[in-house]
Amino acid sequence: MEKSKTTQQSANLVSRRNFLKLGGSAVAILSGCTFNQRTQASRRTGRPKPNNIVLIITDQQHIDTIAAGGCRHVQTPALDSLKISGVSFTQSYTANPLCSPARSAVFTGRTSSEAHVHINGRPIRSDIPNLGQWFSQHTDYETFYAGKWHLPRTYTSNIPGFEVIHTGIGGFGYLCDTAMSRACEGFLRNRSKGQPFLLVASFMQPHDICEWLRLNMDNPPKLRYPELAGELPELPHNFEYDKNEPASIKQRRRGCEPAKGGWSKEHWRYYRWSYYRNIENLDAEIGRILRALADYGYTDDTLIVFISDHGEGMGHHKMVRKSSPYNEASRVPLLFSWPGHIIENKTDMVHLASGMDIMPTLCDYASIKSPANMRGISLRSILEGDSGPSHEFVVTEVNSNTGRMLRTNRYKYIVYVDDPVEQLFDMNNDPGETKNLSSNSRYASILADHRKMLKDWEHRLDVQPNIPHADVWRSMG
Amino acid sequence: MQLNQIEEKIMAKKKSSRTIVGTPLTPVLLGELKALGKLPQTPADFKPDGNWVNSYRICTCHGYRESGNQDVGSLRIERLADRANETFTLKVNQRINQTDGLTNIVDVVVKCRNNQLASPTQWEVSSRFIGADGREIAKLQSKDSSATTESVGRKTSDWCLFELVQRLKFDKSIDLAFELLEGLSIAKQDQRLKYRGAETAKLGDRQARLHCFSQIGRGILPTEYWLDDNHRLLIVCSMNKAYILSRPGK
Repeated sequence: MEKSKTTQQSANLVSRRNFLKLGGSAVAILSGCTFNQRTQASRRTGRPKPNNIVLIITDQQHIDTIAAGGCRHVQTPALDSLKISGVSFTQSYTANPLCSPARSAVFTGRTSSEAHVHINGRPIRSDIPNLGQWFSQHTDYETFYAGKWHLPRTYTSNIPGFEVIHTGIGGFGYLCDTAMSRACEGFLRNRSKGQPFLLVASFMQPHDICEWLRLNMDNPPKLRYPELAGELPELPHNFEYDKNEPASIKQRRRGCEPAKGGWSKEHWRYYRWSYYRNIENLDAEIGRILRALADYGYTDDTLIVFISDHGEGMGHHKMVRKSSPYNEASRVPLLFSWPGHIIENKTDMVHLASGMDIMPTLCDYASIKSPANMRGISLRSILEGDSGPSHEFVVTEVNSNTGRMLRTNRYKYIVYVDDPVEQLFDMNNDPGETKNLSSNSRYASILADHRKMLKDWEHRLDVQPNIPHADVWRSMG
Repeated sequence: MQLNQIEEKIMAKKKSSRTIVGTPLTPVLLGELKALGKLPQTPADFKPDGNWVNSYRICTCHGYRESGNQDVGSLRIERLADRANETFTLKVNQRINQTDGLTNIVDVVVKCRNNQLASPTQWEVSSRFIGADGREIAKLQSKDSSATTESVGRKTSDWCLFELVQRLKFDKSIDLAFELLEGLSIAKQDQRLKYRGAETAKLGDRQARLHCFSQIGRGILPTEYWLDDNHRLLIVCSMNKAYILSRPGK
C-alpha cells in the first residue's frame, strides 16, 4: 500500500530519458533496501557514517505543506518520498522565525543571539564555526554550498568553509531555484565517485509569497480567476484569535498587507491557494535533486536532511509571513532520510526538535565531536529508534531579540521585553494557540516553571553585550 | 543608542519610503513601472504557424514601485516549420543572470507536433553555467534528451506555450486542459489555459488592444499571456516576473 503510493507520487519526477517510459521501476528513489537488512548490518559494524550528506533548506515553509503528512491542498511527490523514506518531526521549531537568525542557528548549533545574528543581514560571529568550517577542519567531507545563504548576503560566491555554487537571484525563487537545482544536478552528474561530500542545497521558495503579498496587497473587487472559487482552501480554524496578545504581535499584524489592504475572506483564501502553488513549485525543484541523487547512484549512501528556516503565517491568527512565536511561523518541517539506517516512514509527534539540532546531528553522523557550547542536541538516537537524549524544552528567539518562546511538551510560553502581557498555551488542548492561560490562577505554578526554565536557559548563553536587550535576558527574573 | 540600532532605524526608514505595488503584474502596471521599454511593432506578414523569432527580456518586480525591479535575463525562441507542416522545431536559448556574474544558459531544441498543444515529441536540453570570467564551469553542466512515443497525450511545455498561444483563436470558448512538462523535465498536472478577453493598454507611446490567455495549474502561479491583434505574444506575466518582447523577429 505504502509502496504503491510512493510510486504514484514519484511519477511527477520525469525521467531524463523518456517521460513516457516512467514506471514503478524508475521511481523507487529512496526505498531501495529494507530497514531491517541495513540496521542489522549497521549493528555489526558499529555506528555507520554516510558517504555523503545533503542538507536541503527551504525558506518560509509552513510545516503542514506535505501531502504525505496530511496536507490535502498540495501535490508534493518529492517531499512525500523523503517523508516516507525517513523520520519527520511534528514538534520541530526554528531557533528564530526570521531568515538570517534562523540560518545562523542551523549552521552553528547556537542561538541566533549568540551567533550575533538577531536580525537579517548579519554575519555569524567570527569565533563561532559554521558547519562548513567545522566539517572542513575535522572530516574528509568536501563541503559545497548552493543557493541562499543570507549571512550576511542573501546570495554570495564566498561562504567560509564551503566551495560555493553561487546560483541565486535575491527574492525570486521561481527563477533562481531552477538554476540552483540544475546546478546541483550537474554537480552530482559530473562528480567522480569516492570523495565524500556535504552539499547544502538552499532554496528560496516558498519565500516568493513575500513578493506575492506586495503584488496582491489591495483587496480585489472580485476574484481575478473566477474558476478558482471552488478550489480555494478554507480559512484555518484559528483565523480568529485571542486578542490578549503582546503589543509586538499586534503591531506586526497591523503592519502587514492584509490589514493595510483590508482583505476579504476570499482574498485570504486566494493567498493560501497561491502559497500552496509555491510549495508545489519548490517540491518540483527538490525532486530534480532527488532524481539526480538516484540517477547517479548516491541514494543508498547519502544522508538527506530537510528543514525550513522558519514557517509562514498562512492566515492563522490573521497573520502572514514570519517573525511570530505562534506555531505557524515558528514550527518547521524537519525530515531525515538515509535508507536502511534511519527508521522509514516514521512521524515523530513526541520529541521536540530545534533548528539548532542540525549541527550536532550532522557531527554525530560524521563521527566527529561537535563544536563547544552546542545548544542543540544530536537527534541520531531518535532517528534510529534508540534511547538517547531529548529536549525537555526548546527556545525560539523572536523579533530583534525582543521576544522568547519556550516550548515544553505540553505548554508554550511567550514573553517580550518591556511588555506585561505574557502568553501561556496548553498545546494539547489548544494547539491553535487561541486561549491565553497566563492570567488564569490555576496555571500560576506552570507559568512560574516556564519562566524559571527560560531564566536558567538564558543564564547559560554566551551572548555578546552589544546585542540589543542582551542584558535584559541575562538578568531576567 | 548603539551603532546597530542606528543602522536598523536607517534601514527601517528606507523601507518605509517605498511604495508597495499592491496589484498583480499586467501590461498596464509594467508600463507604469517603466518596464516595457519600446515594444517592437509586429510585422504585417507575421504568421504564428510560420518561421519566426521572438526574443524577450525577463524582468522582475519585488513588489515596490521605486526599487528592486530589474532585468535578470533573456529568452529567445525560434520557430522553424517543416515542409509538410506536420511538425515544427523550436530552438530556445534562455539566460538567467545569477549572483556575482554567474549566468545559467539553457539551450533547447524541441520537435513538436503541429497540434493545438504543440506536443513535444523529441528534445535536447542542455544547462550550463558561465562564470564572471566568461569561462564555462564544466562540473555544473547537465544534458537531457528524450523522445516520446506517438501517444504524446495532452502534454506541452512552458516554452511550447509561448508558441501555441499565438496559434489559438481569440475566443472565450478556448479552454485547454493539459499536463505541463516544465523545462522539458518536470511534470506539473492539472493545467488549464483559457482565453480571458481583450483590454486596451498603453504600450510606450501608443495604445494597443491586447488579448489575454491565462494559465492556472499545479506548481505554478497564474500566468498571463498577452498578445496583439496579429497574434504575436508580447508579454507574459507570472507573479513577480514578466517576459517582455524586446526586438522584432525575423
